[in-house]
Amino acid sequence: MSATLIMTGACTDDLINLVSESTLTTTSFFNTSKDMDLAVLGIYSNYQSQIQYYQLMELPGDNVYLGKWQTSPPLNELENLTVTSTNSTITSFWQGSYNGIFRSNSVLYNIDNPGDYKASEKDQFTGEAKFMRALNYFNLVRLFGGVPLVTTLLSIEESKKVPRATEDEVYTLIIEDLKDAISKLPLQANIARGRASKAAAVALLGKVYVYRKDWNNARTYLEQLFSEFSYSLFSDFSKVIKTENNSELIFVMKFIESTNGQSLTDNYTPFTGIYGGATAGGNLNPCWGLHKLFQAGDKRKAGTITEMWKAYKAGAGDPEVWAPYVNKYLVTHTYSVGCGLDLPVIRLADMILLYAETLYELGQTDPALIQLNKIRERAFGDSSHNYTLADIPDKTAFTDTLFLERRLELAFENERWFDLVRSGKYMTAMAYDETYYNDATQTPTVVTRTMKAYMKYFPIPLSEIELSDPGVLVQNEGY
Amino acid sequence: MKKNQSGRVDSCFPPHLTKILRVMKLSVLLTCFLSLNLMASVYSQQARFDLDVKDQSVRDILKTIEKESLFRFFYNDEFTDLDKKLTFSTTGKSIDDLMVLVLDNTEVSYKVLDNNFVVITPKSLIQERQVTGIVTNENGNPMPGVNIQVKGTTAGAITDSNGRYSITVTDPTAILIFSFIGYSTLEVPIGGKSVMSITLQPDLLSLEEVVVIGYGTMRKSSVTAAISKVEDPRLAQMPASRIETSLVGRMAGVNISTLRTVPGEAPIIRIRGIGSISAGNDPLVVIDGFAGGSLDQLNVNDIQSIEVLKDASSAAIYGSRGSGGIIIVTTKRGKTGSPKIKVNTYAGLSVPYLYDDWLTGQEWYDYLARYYNREFVWAGGDPSIPMWGDPRRPSRYQLDPVALSETQTIWQDVILNNAPIQSYNLSVSGGTEFVKYYVSGTYSDEDGVVITSNYKNYSLRANVDIKVNKVIDMGVMFNPSYRIKRDAPGSMNYYIKYPNFVEPQLPDGTYPRADSYTALATTMDNPLATFIKTINKSRVLNNLGEVYINLNLLEGLRFRTSFGATLYNSSYDSFSDVNRRTNGSAYSTNTNNLLNENTLTYSRIFNKIHEFNGLLGASFQRSNTRSLGMAATTNSYNNTIILTLNNAIINPTSTYSSKTQWGLISYFARANYAYREKYLFSASVRRDGCSRFGADNKWGYFPSASVAWRVSKEGFMQNIPVISELKIRGSYGVTGNYNIGDFDYLGKVTSNNYSPNDVLVKSMAQTSFENSNLGWEKTISYDIGLELGLLKNRLNIVFDYYDKKTSSLLYSVSIPAITGFTTTISNIGEIGNKGIEFEIKSVNLNGPFRWQTSFNLTRNRNKVLSLGSVTERIRTMGVGMNYLLRVGEPMFSYYSYKTIGVLLNDEDLANSPHLTGEMVGHPKYLDANGDGQITPEKDRVILGNFQPKLVMGMTNDLAWKNFDLTLTFQSALGFKVLNVDNSDYEGSTTMPAIRRGLVENQWWSTAEPGDGKTPGPGQYSSQGFRCIDKFLDNGSYCYLRNLNFGYTLPGDLTRKIGIDNLRIYTSMNNLFLIKDKKNLSWNVEGYTGGEVTGISSYPGYNWGTEPVSRVITIGLNVSF
Repeated sequence: MSATLIMTGACTDDLINLVSESTLTTTSFFNTSKDMDLAVLGIYSNYQSQIQYYQLMELPGDNVYLGKWQTSPPLNELENLTVTSTNSTITSFWQGSYNGIFRSNSVLYNIDNPGDYKASEKDQFTGEAKFMRALNYFNLVRLFGGVPLVTTLLSIEESKKVPRATEDEVYTLIIEDLKDAISKLPLQANIARGRASKAAAVALLGKVYVYRKDWNNARTYLEQLFSEFSYSLFSDFSKVIKTENNSELIFVMKFIESTNGQSLTDNYTPFTGIYGGATAGGNLNPCWGLHKLFQAGDKRKAGTITEMWKAYKAGAGDPEVWAPYVNKYLVTHTYSVGCGLDLPVIRLADMILLYAETLYELGQTDPALIQLNKIRERAFGDSSHNYTLADIPDKTAFTDTLFLERRLELAFENERWFDLVRSGKYMTAMAYDETYYNDATQTPTVVTRTMKAYMKYFPIPLSEIELSDPGVLVQNEGY
Repeated sequence: MKKNQSGRVDSCFPPHLTKILRVMKLSVLLTCFLSLNLMASVYSQQARFDLDVKDQSVRDILKTIEKESLFRFFYNDEFTDLDKKLTFSTTGKSIDDLMVLVLDNTEVSYKVLDNNFVVITPKSLIQERQVTGIVTNENGNPMPGVNIQVKGTTAGAITDSNGRYSITVTDPTAILIFSFIGYSTLEVPIGGKSVMSITLQPDLLSLEEVVVIGYGTMRKSSVTAAISKVEDPRLAQMPASRIETSLVGRMAGVNISTLRTVPGEAPIIRIRGIGSISAGNDPLVVIDGFAGGSLDQLNVNDIQSIEVLKDASSAAIYGSRGSGGIIIVTTKRGKTGSPKIKVNTYAGLSVPYLYDDWLTGQEWYDYLARYYNREFVWAGGDPSIPMWGDPRRPSRYQLDPVALSETQTIWQDVILNNAPIQSYNLSVSGGTEFVKYYVSGTYSDEDGVVITSNYKNYSLRANVDIKVNKVIDMGVMFNPSYRIKRDAPGSMNYYIKYPNFVEPQLPDGTYPRADSYTALATTMDNPLATFIKTINKSRVLNNLGEVYINLNLLEGLRFRTSFGATLYNSSYDSFSDVNRRTNGSAYSTNTNNLLNENTLTYSRIFNKIHEFNGLLGASFQRSNTRSLGMAATTNSYNNTIILTLNNAIINPTSTYSSKTQWGLISYFARANYAYREKYLFSASVRRDGCSRFGADNKWGYFPSASVAWRVSKEGFMQNIPVISELKIRGSYGVTGNYNIGDFDYLGKVTSNNYSPNDVLVKSMAQTSFENSNLGWEKTISYDIGLELGLLKNRLNIVFDYYDKKTSSLLYSVSIPAITGFTTTISNIGEIGNKGIEFEIKSVNLNGPFRWQTSFNLTRNRNKVLSLGSVTERIRTMGVGMNYLLRVGEPMFSYYSYKTIGVLLNDEDLANSPHLTGEMVGHPKYLDANGDGQITPEKDRVILGNFQPKLVMGMTNDLAWKNFDLTLTFQSALGFKVLNVDNSDYEGSTTMPAIRRGLVENQWWSTAEPGDGKTPGPGQYSSQGFRCIDKFLDNGSYCYLRNLNFGYTLPGDLTRKIGIDNLRIYTSMNNLFLIKDKKNLSWNVEGYTGGEVTGISSYPGYNWGTEPVSRVITIGLNVSF
């Protein structure tokens, strides 16, 4: 018909069998090693969002409270530990984690498609996908307990029938994945910063074994980390996060200001900004409960919290006022545009403290103390504040000291809530929490909570339970 | 015999006639047969003869004409004049022309009677006289084409293009009958006069109007479907830059909501409720046959009529796209006659409805101080500590005395103003028998009441119809338009709530910021600066062009083919220099939408009782879109002189180009049959194939059938004179919907960003599930209708009941996140819409004072019938309100806790179920299940819905002498709007503007409990937003949408200065509004949350809609 000549110059069926010019599809992608490389980077892209979930990793703990104007029911629930199963932040984190796991799974599912891999590329991609899958499951299992274990691509129908695995089963997969990743991942020197290296997998596996309280295995991998790779503590604590690619960072999420930035820096900035620095912020404030713990001489205090504050717009002559804010991630950048500062996922100080814990648990008190004091020495610049055996007369004392040191060292780095839970301290710590401190009256604002044991896990999102077949996903106790 | 005619003759007549034609060439062709309703008089006016006579007698010539036409001659055989021999050759002559030629110089004359009988009588029996005059319409305009007949005879005449007529009468007592379609027929005795000028009045009772249906037209009386119509000149009366505004309140079942009152912004049209969750509910717009047009490219002055096909039996001919109903727009076309020039222009002012209950000065300070104190108490503080400067009070509970500044800016008044509007339209139309044209140009310029917003429109339309010959006619339509729109930078409420103490602008020209007055204030930039320094402009160049060719193949058989194209080119540029940052972006989109339609129609009346009308068609459509976009890296502009992106660094992650396309193939057929105009049947089927669906499901079938019984045509009804028309009709039909994204059925792999080694990379990930089964969303509808005309159709009533069920919803359904995705598009679920429609048209007075009333009412009940494997879906929003889709309830119902009061005191708190962390003064919620606790699973309840239960419209047209007045009312009842933006004006943000109307009666303390029902709003505690039903207002309203008062200058007066018609008018839109006193939103029906566009929609959510305005204009309609 004349019509079609004008319209398409071809037969009419072409009109309804169009080929998308601007969209790749599952058939046109995953076919070359370059495709696989980009798909692996897609996994990290997902994790760039996941790592910024201070709302789940820090807010429920005792390091952070929401400042004025930060009003949103899901965040208030998390801060007050009055979490419900409809909490949208929890739901989003769950969804984001499984999206990351899906991206790993689709790399692994298609890994055999390309025929043009160079040298060890296939191993590297497999290792990265498994490492990232393990990392996502590690977050899930710590937040929710046992979760559905997905290692392949699911149809919608299949997905409604996957029940929660046990915590053991999840950890079994994590360990399996990390062991495979260790065998396949290259050294940091042979892979770009911001991608997982062999050391990252070793470190993460060591950490996982600590969470499993499998001290022997933990020691094996932590010692492998220290012996096989040459990471070292960065001398200036206040710059350990702000100096990108330094010797202490084992695995980070890379960001570029503006084009691929993070908003965590903004979130830890006071609402009306900081004089000479940020113009505005999300107003997440440091709790007095943490603040007061820094001893005199501990350089980590100034490297974590700035006490005196002046708004961005204040006059040059205006006085600074007492309004402590978190400076750990504070670098000069433009508000809300995306900060380029990299965010650490694994850094050496954490590993050293985990090692100290492991050694102590294995009965090696002195070596444990040596490890603990490595952190202490950097914090104070010398050994004068080192712990001695007298400080840790018994296990309780050691644990208290260790977790105190972890809190001071790793504040706002997404470790506190997990530490509170695995040490069991959340029951007491969160029952009495000092948030704002009125310097003039020397009185803290005290928040009390009625803590219940079940709070160690967040509820499985109600929507996910409803979307599964009836009875497939069982809610955590207490919710 | 001319050669070029023989080919035509051979093609049109069977071979056995050619022998006769050799001797005497005669062909009869009808030039026009649009309708089956060919009456004899039409035939006699339109039949044309080609005669080639050589030495033939008049008698023989008459016999030949009899053979070849429907005319029959009666004469006395003895007239000798009939033997006269003639030789002549002529073409294209009417019967009158022919008779004059044939009977020239004889003693006989003739008359053409009804039924095409021609009587030839001796001239001696006739005493002739000429009567002349001019026929004008109610406005004094000359009326061409008026039929004039001498009563009791067949003698007749037609007025020329200037309305003049001349008729020969033989009887001095004869009566002349003046008739014209759409006007009351007038009988005037000549009474010996030779000059009579006549004014005809519109016939408000006419039923024989023609309606445009898909691919054709039909007499309204023969229609078996539910169709509403509005036509010129009603439309152009109301000054409006958008055509939808002119339709508000005019048609039952057609609900037009003005959600945003921004110039150029499209109102939302919903026909018989909403049935789709993700695939859109907009009706399909068909402009002069081009399906898939857009109302924003039309100028209201150019529109002849708008028909809305509401039920599936009429919409099914557009099959795949009929689910949201069909709006058919017919533009004006030229008519035979000398050029007619029309000028329509208006100018006026938009005056926003504003609020004057703002707190200022001491009162404002006191309120905030009290507010912060209550917060402080809730946080465990001592309220006796001074508000400012005392370190014992944390800064977040302090109130800087700067709030008491002498400057008290009401930001509402700064960013809203009265806005001028103006519009000019000029059209020229006319034509000859062969070429007819309508050309029109429009310029309009409308400011928004929100400062800096503006909409300019330049448009042109040319419609040309060409009659090539008796077989072929063709036409060209061309409608380019250029629109420029500048938008406000953001939601109005952000700016209106800005602190009072800030000057809009300092004498030195700078714009101060709140945080330069006090560090505790918002960091937001000065609103005035934000408006002035944010330039968001869109420019759209759009052209709808179409060519058609008609082939009149045989009597009743016609082939039409058309080629149309919409070429859409839009660009968007934005620049801002706000909050100490420069930002900018540029986007452009080009779409070409090509359509070819081919139809073959056949219409015929058999044996005068069987009326048949058939249609076969095929249509091919393809749309290609190319988009480009880029944005500046923040703060990278070199200066603020050059605002284009060549003056900045381009951000690589926001730069793209992309292409997409879709195609549609359709085949369709329709048959209409009427028996004795009493029993009417219609059936159609359409088969559509669309590129947007998966390989297995590209094709869909859309059948329909309808029947009607015109009871009033039955014999037994003739004894009931009060009922002039009674029709009962019923229909069934299936329509479809494919309004999803292109290629949504594919498993798409799209890009994201990562930066290994600090190098930006477009990493990739699969972002949607493949669904090769993705297919059509279908709506099955039933309609039962009754049309009743009483008292010679002085009172017309139309009643419809409909039941629509939309199934296989194209719906982005939530799926378990463990698949890697949270939603996927699929065909799941069913939505029902049931309702009644009621239209009354009444001619209340039809004398010198004319008064006509149209009233319509629609009641629609929307209900979710199925959601696949689950029975409900909750769309959770951060502010505490949720949207519920639950089987058995209307879609997107508001769903949250119901506030039943305030926790008055400690005792009340202890005894009432409450959420953890709630304190005295916080809201008291309904414990819906009575279990003594408040839990999200069990205590959230349905709090209402955004869809009106009842929509009504009423138009009153009044006229007396040269004055006319039209009043249009619109009312919607029984719906709720979530005015969340009002929470901004009660203290919940940093030193915001406060409205008294929103903050009265609240709980302050146990001692001051307010009215004992209103909780204290809170900013720090999370309960502030949880008392969300406080912002859920009854949206019911009644507007006087338009008052239009005009005066037409007397025709005799204006004609002296060469003007046929001159009407001056004043028009007032939204003159008054009745609403719920508690609804304190700027636009009672307005919201910003968007319509239903997917599972995550939040319709009814209002976050800063612009105010409704009174639009007061003065206008002029002139025609030459």
